[in-house]
Amino acid sequence: MSKVTRRLVAAGLPLAALVAPGLAHARPAPAFTAVDIDGQTRSLAEFKGKTVVLEWVNEGCPYVKKHYSGNMQGLQAAATADGVVWLTIASSAPGKQGHFPDGGSARTWMNARGARPTTLLLDGEGVVATAYKAKTTPHMFVIDKTGAIVYEGAIDDIPSNKVEDLPKARNLVAAALADVKAGRKVAVAYVQPYGCALKYKDA
Amino acid sequence: MWPCVRKSPPAGTPIGAIHIVWPTPEQTRVGPLLDYAYKGEVLLPVPITVPASAAPGSTVTLKAAAAFLVCEEICIPEDAILTLDMPIVSGAPGPDPKWGAVVARTLADAPKAAGLKAVFKRDGAVLKLAITGAPLKGADMAGAYFYPYSGKVIDHAAEQTIERGPEGLTLGLKPGFDFTTGTPPTELAGIIALSGQAYEVTAIAGEPPAGAFGLGPPPAAARPADATGLLTALVFAFLGGLILNLMPCVFPVLSMKAASLAGHAHDPGKTRLQGLAFLVGVVATFLALAGLLIAVRAGGAAVGWGFQLQSPVVVASLALVMLLVALNMSGVFEFGTSVQGVGGSVSARGGVTGAFFTGALAVVVAAPCTAPFMAGALGFALTQPPVISLGVFLALALGFAAPFVILTFAPALMARLPRPGPWMDTLKKGLAFPMYGTAAWLVWVFSQQAGSIALGQVFAAAVLLGFAAWLWGHAQTRRAVGKPSLVALLAALLALAGAIALTALTAQATPPAAVATNAAPTGPGLASEPWSPEKVAALQAEGRPVMVDFTAAWCVTCQVNEKVALSGAGVAQAFRDNNAVLLKADWTNRDATIAAALAEQGRAGVPLYLVYPAKGGPPVILPQLLTEGMVIAAIEKAAS
Repeated sequence: MSKVTRRLVAAGLPLAALVAPGLAHARPAPAFTAVDIDGQTRSLAEFKGKTVVLEWVNEGCPYVKKHYSGNMQGLQAAATADGVVWLTIASSAPGKQGHFPDGGSARTWMNARGARPTTLLLDGEGVVATAYKAKTTPHMFVIDKTGAIVYEGAIDDIPSNKVEDLPKARNLVAAALADVKAGRKVAVAYVQPYGCALKYKDA
Repeated sequence: MWPCVRKSPPAGTPIGAIHIVWPTPEQTRVGPLLDYAYKGEVLLPVPITVPASAAPGSTVTLKAAAAFLVCEEICIPEDAILTLDMPIVSGAPGPDPKWGAVVARTLADAPKAAGLKAVFKRDGAVLKLAITGAPLKGADMAGAYFYPYSGKVIDHAAEQTIERGPEGLTLGLKPGFDFTTGTPPTELAGIIALSGQAYEVTAIAGEPPAGAFGLGPPPAAARPADATGLLTALVFAFLGGLILNLMPCVFPVLSMKAASLAGHAHDPGKTRLQGLAFLVGVVATFLALAGLLIAVRAGGAAVGWGFQLQSPVVVASLALVMLLVALNMSGVFEFGTSVQGVGGSVSARGGVTGAFFTGALAVVVAAPCTAPFMAGALGFALTQPPVISLGVFLALALGFAAPFVILTFAPALMARLPRPGPWMDTLKKGLAFPMYGTAAWLVWVFSQQAGSIALGQVFAAAVLLGFAAWLWGHAQTRRAVGKPSLVALLAALLALAGAIALTALTAQATPPAAVATNAAPTGPGLASEPWSPEKVAALQAEGRPVMVDFTAAWCVTCQVNEKVALSGAGVAQAFRDNNAVLLKADWTNRDATIAAALAEQGRAGVPLYLVYPAKGGPPVILPQLLTEGMVIAAIEKAAS
């Protein structure tokens, strides 16, 4: 039996087990401005002093659809009720899957899904996505009150597009938010994101 | 539509108890992302061991639940339950008529464990991965790539630099998330893929062994020779050769020679023979120089045409040789064995050998003159496979020889040449001044490389050389009138030795602080900053357009471009308006990082101008001859 295949089996272990605890990871969150669904220009700076979640979205992506079966909306509601700012960011380029041409089309999708973020930002040029090196949808970031990224990566630890995997999965964003709220160091600070490749515009 | 596996090996993909033999993936760029993917038809073999209890004659049913995505722009999830009835037979079954051969090939090409030794070491912003072992000795390293099993150890989208060594190679990777933590990984495991074969490696922290580096980056991968591209290159090389005839070092040699030929134009057969001999001399010398250069590059040294000008001693020596030639043309002394002398005196005797050596010497004299003017074009030729680059050099040689050869074959033209006479001496003395200019320019280049103390030494050497030349000329005059002066000759030799010693001393000169020259503003209002790959990445991440100017003091084209296209107020305004940054990579002295960056773009020399878009992604290459409008347009495009 080749070693490669054994490696791959190892990669299938719960991801959390592979991450060393007590990371000294806290890179500053890149500043950005973007227009939201109401046409207002929003910036990360205006939320200084609050915990911020960034969620990259592409409404047509099977992985996004999996989490919008209720999981994502629940997270959004719980987080915002806790005073956390939740920014959903749509970075699909014009002509690509998941692009919202205007705030109205984004709002229609949000209402249909019952999404409850603080707001949704339109980033069709991919500027914010490039600054954060967002790779997939979903791709999640948790920024603490000091403006440091304390978690980035996958939303949970079962990288599939199957709704039935949700109850078994450990939600890494919820865990990070709980750690931040309790004033603890975030135990798992990075997990390789999974999902659809972010639909950047063609080079 | 092609099926693909994104981010292979797909961490966390549940594959249950079976083991898939994953083939080596390909790198697929999607915007600023890099995916590891399979394209087209891909086979994922699953080895199965038949239990000893299996009874021949019965049938076993294999079942698999497959969950996969079919992706191009978007991914469509698919599920399938697959079943296959397999008869159990005694003995080894023959290969499947349809799939046996492809499966065997897939298994043969799959990454192998080959006992390679690997160590990694973080060196600032670079993660060095050194791999050595028997399968890598002498292997083709072009396009070598490390696919890590973990998605967290390196930045996948960053380019991987390749440095060859006698026993293996060293890759320069960009450290990933795991290296930003307090506890960096103790192991780096994955696949090293070379062209045609891939090996499994597990690296531990340590010092790269000496056999893993030292031979520079691999020669640029041979691109398929494009017939029209090759034809264009040949035509331009021929034209370039024609233009070389006008170079200050060459023109006097050839015009003298042509004029002396006109003296005996009455024998067309003889002049034709001389023309052909000249042609052979030029071609042979050009090909020999090119062959030498190609051989040196194949040996792994990161050199380009014009590379000799990166050594201050060579530059100083060339400056002094130019001065000597200029003094000779001014009539300060006559050099019995000088370049012009050999060609002139021998050809006066009508010797075919003489014409051959005139050709050879014209090329040798032309080479130092041409290198800085032609660095860009010849650098391009050198990135091609040897046969093509030799072809380009051949075209260059033919172009160089053409005017003279045509002249010898056209008696009518020959008859129109002015008769030899005193005007030749006047012309020669006039043409000395471009040579003084060349010497002055080379000294300026030298001052950029070696600092003011060494510059003083070169000036002193120049004065001594002038003195030696004058003494020599004096001795020649005395001898001509029958009163040879041994003292003057000895003094001349002493002065010459002093000049050579002073030049040799400059080898110890330390280059001036690079920052000082780099930070100097390129023109009014447009300041440049020193280049580094990390700086480009950082500025791009800030969303700023970046222009990189790969330049060198000895590169005339570079200097012209900087004056003409980069110093104007319009360009400075465009940079300000678009929040763009100009970075300068100064290759005046040797620099491995810059050489690697040039190789990445398939270049062997400067100038090279890259404009990185503000939104990220690969750079746009600007032409080697810039205009202000071109730069402004490129910056505006990069910012939009």
